[in-house]
Amino acid sequence: MKRIQRLLAVLLSASILNVSAIHSAQAALVPTEEAARLATVTQTESGHARLTAALARDDVRAEMLRQGVDPTLAQERIAALTDDEATRLADQIDSAPAGGIIGAILLVFFVLLVTDILGLTKVFPFTRSVR
Amino acid sequence: MAVGLDAAVAAADGQLAVRTPRSCSPVLAMLVLVLMALLASGCATQTPALLAQPPVGLPARVELADTPFFPDESHFCGPAALATALSAAGLPARPDELVGRVFLPGREGSLQIEMLAGARRSGAVATLIPGTLEALLRELAAGHPVVVLQNLGLSWAPSWHYAVAVGYDLDAGTILLRSGPMQRQALALRTFEHTWKRGGHWAFVTLPPGTLAATASEAETSAALVAFERAAPPAASVTAYRAGLQRWPGSYTLQMGLGNASYAAGDLPGAEAAFGRAAETHGQAAAHNNHARVLLELGRAAAARQAAQRGLAVAGPLRATLLDTLQAINAATPAAAR
Repeated sequence: MKRIQRLLAVLLSASILNVSAIHSAQAALVPTEEAARLATVTQTESGHARLTAALARDDVRAEMLRQGVDPTLAQERIAALTDDEATRLADQIDSAPAGGIIGAILLVFFVLLVTDILGLTKVFPFTRSVR
Repeated sequence: MAVGLDAAVAAADGQLAVRTPRSCSPVLAMLVLVLMALLASGCATQTPALLAQPPVGLPARVELADTPFFPDESHFCGPAALATALSAAGLPARPDELVGRVFLPGREGSLQIEMLAGARRSGAVATLIPGTLEALLRELAAGHPVVVLQNLGLSWAPSWHYAVAVGYDLDAGTILLRSGPMQRQALALRTFEHTWKRGGHWAFVTLPPGTLAATASEAETSAALVAFERAAPPAASVTAYRAGLQRWPGSYTLQMGLGNASYAAGDLPGAEAAFGRAAETHGQAAAHNNHARVLLELGRAAAARQAAQRGLAVAGPLRATLLDTLQAINAATPAAAR
C-alpha cells in the first residue's frame, strides 16, 4: 500500500513537471533497453515503466536489507537488474520461489513419501520410484 | 486424463481440510490422496511422447561429464548450481563467492531473477530456454549444461531447488543432474518432469558472450543480451550482439545494442554502421538520434543533421532528446556552414 502511495505521488508530480524532462536528463545516446521498450510501448507507458523501475529499485533495496543482505552487496545486486527485472522483483521478493529449501514439514512427510515412491515427487534421496 | 496432478492433490487437500473436523482419520486421508495421485499419474506430461518418439536429430545419450560439481547440503543450491554452470562455460566461479550475489538470507534461498543477474555479473550471458523437455535436451546435446528450478515437493508444500542438468539417456528414460549433494543423480525423466513442471518449467543456460543458446527465441535472446550489456565490459557485449545478429540479422534491439556497445567500446565506425542499419531498416527515432550523435562525433555534421531531422519527424516521446541532438549539431557547426 505504501508503495502504491509513493508511486502515485511520483506519478502525479512527474505529470506536473512533464515526463519528457526525464528523457532530456539522460545521456546523449538512447540506451538499448529504452530503445527496445520504445519500439513496443507508448510514450506514457515507457515513462511510467522508468519511474516504476526507479521506485522498485528502492523497494528491492529496502527489502534486501530487511532480509539480511549487506548494504554494499545489495547496491551491486540492484545495479545488475534491468528495469523490468527490478519491477518484477519488487513485487515478488517475498513470495517468489526461493530455491534452497530442502526438506518438508512433518505434516506432509508421509504424503511426500508416497508421492516419491509413485515417482511424482523427489524429496527423499532414499526413495525409489515404483515405475 | 484431464485432471492434473496438482489439481488432484489440491482437491485431496481440500477434502482433508473439509473432513478433518468430522471423522476423517489420517489413514483415510492418505488413501484418498494416494487414490487421487494414482488417478492423476496419467496426466498430460511430455515424457511419454518424447520417449516413444524421440525428436529428430537428438542423440539417444548425452553426458557432459566434464561439468564440475560443487556439493551442497544446505540452502546454497542456488550458488552451487550457478557455480557449476558458470565453470562449465569457462568462467571460473565458486559457490562461496556467489552467495553474496544471489543468496537471500531472509528467504533461505535464491530468487530466479537474481540467479540470472548473478550469472551476468560473472561474465556469462544468461538466457531462458523454452519450457519443454525437448528444448532442455537439445541444449544438453549442444553441450550446454542447463540450470533448472525444481519443486521437489508439492504445489502446496513446495520444496524449491536448483539443479544443473548435465545429460540424459533416452533408452533408460533418465536425466542426469548435479543436484545438492549428488554428483550424478540419474532421475527418471517422468519424475524430473513433474518436479520441473511444478517449478514453472523454468530453465536457463549460462554461456560465454559469442555463444547463443541452441533453442532460445529471438525475444529471450534479445532480453538476455540487453541485460548482459548492462553489467558487461563493452567489448564482451559487442561479441555477444554480433553473435545474436548472425542468427537474427534484422533485429532492431540487437542492432541498437551493437551500436551502443560499439560506442561504449570506443569503436565509432562500428557504432555508426550499426545505428545506420537500425535507422534504415526500422526508422525508429532512437536509432536516428544515436546515428546522428555518432556521425557528429565522426565530424560528419551534415549527415548528422539529416539523421537528426529524420528522427525528429518520427520522434514521439524522444522529441526532447532529438532537439538536444540538433542543438548539439548546431553548436558544433559554424553558422556559415549550415
